[in-house]
Order: sequence, then C-alpha cells, then structure tokens
Amino acid sequence: MRTLVINGSPKARNGNSEVFIKQFIKGREASYEVCYAAKEDSRQIAEHMKQFDTVIVAMPLYIHAMPGIVMKLIDCMEPAAVDGKSMGFIVQSGFVESAQSKYLSRYLSALAKQLNYTYLGTVIRGGSAGTYMMPEKMNRKLFQQLRMLGERFEADGSFDAEVIKELARPNELSKGKSRLLQFFFRLGLGDCIFWNMMLKQNNAIDRKFDMPFVDELLAE
Amino acid sequence: MIPAAELTDYTPAVTHGASHSALGFQYIGARPMKRVVIRECGEFEIPCHYILDLTKTIVKDCTGCWSCWLKTPGRCVHKDLDEFYKAYLDTDKVIIFSKVSHGFVSGSLKTLFDRMIPLFLPFITYKSGESMHVPRYEKYPEIEVYYEGDFASIEDRNIYEDYIHRTFYQFYSKCEIVKPMTQISLDLEEINR
Repeated sequence: MRTLVINGSPKARNGNSEVFIKQFIKGREASYEVCYAAKEDSRQIAEHMKQFDTVIVAMPLYIHAMPGIVMKLIDCMEPAAVDGKSMGFIVQSGFVESAQSKYLSRYLSALAKQLNYTYLGTVIRGGSAGTYMMPEKMNRKLFQQLRMLGERFEADGSFDAEVIKELARPNELSKGKSRLLQFFFRLGLGDCIFWNMMLKQNNAIDRKFDMPFVDELLAE
Repeated sequence: MIPAAELTDYTPAVTHGASHSALGFQYIGARPMKRVVIRECGEFEIPCHYILDLTKTIVKDCTGCWSCWLKTPGRCVHKDLDEFYKAYLDTDKVIIFSKVSHGFVSGSLKTLFDRMIPLFLPFITYKSGESMHVPRYEKYPEIEVYYEGDFASIEDRNIYEDYIHRTFYQFYSKCEIVKPMTQISLDLEEINR
C-alpha cells in the first residue's frame, strides 16, 4: 500500500507540518510519497492523488481551519470513482487546546464522506507554533507519539485512537488553567515571552502594537 | 459563547490618541452607514464605499512568515490588500457574498480570512476561558454573510455556518446573519437601509 502525504503548510519544507510528517513516516519512507501544496499546482495534486488508495494531509491550523492553499486544493478534488479509499488528516495549531481545531475536524470528516473516502480521523496537536525551532529533546515525547501513530498506521491502515487522544491533550482549558494563563498574559509572561523575544530580535518591539492602517486613515 | 460586545473591551496596553469618531466609526444622526462588500458571487447593486471582488482579483496567499506580527507589526509582506484593510477598519458593516465550495468557504475566501491576521496581535488572551488573539485595533466592523451553494445535509450546512460564526467571533466582529442567498431578495431592503 502506497500513501500520498500532502504537506499543506504554506511554509512547505520549513514549517512544523514537515517536522510532523518526517516523524510519522520515519523508517518507512519507501511506502510514502510526499508532495507540497505550496509548491505544486492544486489541479495537478488533485489529479495525482487519484493514483493512491490512501491520502494524508498534514497542515497548520489557520483561522480555525485549513490554510487557504489547502482549501484551493480541496476546491479541485473530485469524489473517488471507486470505493475503498481512505483519507486522514494531521493538524497542528499554535493555540494550546485541541478544541480550537474542532471546526476543521468536523468539516474534514464531512469532506471525506463527500469525496467517497473512508475517514481515518483527524490527528490534532495544539501548542505547536514553535515545534520546528525547539531543541530535539523538548519534542521527544511528541516525536515518539507521532512515530507510534505512523507505525500503527503502517500495521493496519488506521489512526490509533489512543495516540490521537494523547496528542490532543489538552482538549479544552480547565478554568484553573485558563486563569493561570491569563495571569501570565497580564504579566507579559507565558507565550508573551516568546513573542517579545522575537520582536526584540527583529528590532520591532517598540512597534508591536502599531495600527498602521488607522494611522493612514487619520493622515488622509 | 460570549457576545462579541463583551470582548471588545480588550485593547492593547497603549494609548494611541485616536478617537473613534475621527475615523468615521461612530456616525450620528443622518450620516450614511459606511459599507464594504466582498463578493465571489451574486449580482446585487448594493451601495458601498469599497468592493473586493474575488471573481476579478486573486488575493495573494498567506505565506505563514509572521512578518505582520514580528517584523513589520500590522503590515503583511504582500501589499495587495492595503486598501482593503483600510476600508475594513473604516467601515460599519462588511457584507460577504460567499460561494460555497465542497461544503466550505472557497479557497479564495479562506485565503482572505488568513490574510486578516495582521489586524490582530500575536499575543493570546485567555480571559474567555480559551485562547484568543488580542485585537490590534479598537473596533472591527459588523459582518453579514450570504452564501450560494447546496449542502448534502443540515449537519453539513451547520458546519459551514458554525465556522463563519466562529471566525468572526475570533475576529471580534458581530456576525448574526449567515444566510443562503436565496433569502436575500427579502432582505435587500434591510441591507440597503
């Protein structure tokens, strides 16, 4: 069984989706072909995927759904002419809770049905904005889980429910957790540290709250 | 769900010296309402002060570079939407005519949604009990969506409508109307009011 993996990240080889795919197919590269939505023509990919029994799309969450380039690819997809094909998705988001991706997973489940594919499920991982920048040891557990997902997929062609559940934690923020995170936010701690550090590196920290388009309106 | 009105009290922790009225956000008395139209279908004559016609313009895709957050705050590396951003921030209401594709917003409209991220800050607030980006600007327009296209089931239609509501909730916009375009003739009078 050969599987087509579509990397749906606008950053192609330079983003988190690539890191996720690499772990998922680690040790089994021969059974997979990887293509890039950002680098190839949507119509050609939609045509090419017809040759495969299984298609997996890995992508970042953009505005509660797939990136525009992935929807442009979906715009070109046609229902499978034969039964028995399957389709699965791997979504990673910056927001920490996986419930943020539920609008997308609901749609992807309906999409698979619409395209006459068996829906393998949507693997969701939150808090992943900086995965590709992190030192390897900080990603150790995540990588183990992704490799296990890949291994089990190879064995029986499905996404392991237990691994999906593990990766999706936390699904929602508890009251205590969101209060704590809000407390950190007010102090400029937590993920603010990461953003401020990057802004400083770019000499843009003084301009971080800029409102350029309202400034232009006022100048007119 | 928390009404958008309760969330608009989030403002960046700086003062900008700009009052709403100077931007034309608050109209008093008989001044006409400012309106922006985004369309990928529908042939309606709706008075507006800016149209983004997606049947004629291809909006450049978001590249995921984060420049609009971390290098040139508030500005995208692409310049093709600069006039649109200005109109969006200077309007009371945005009307979107959306062409449903495969049960969802089309790729072109989704790209436009992706490109709205410069209007928000990278910082995340948890005040509502879940992650939400902090607004960059003080006010965002009200949104109305009219869509053209069929759904295989009520659940499929809900997926589309819920997604639109969720998106504009996160964008700090009031969005009460998400309706099929077939109902629009009844509403044109209301829209034009």
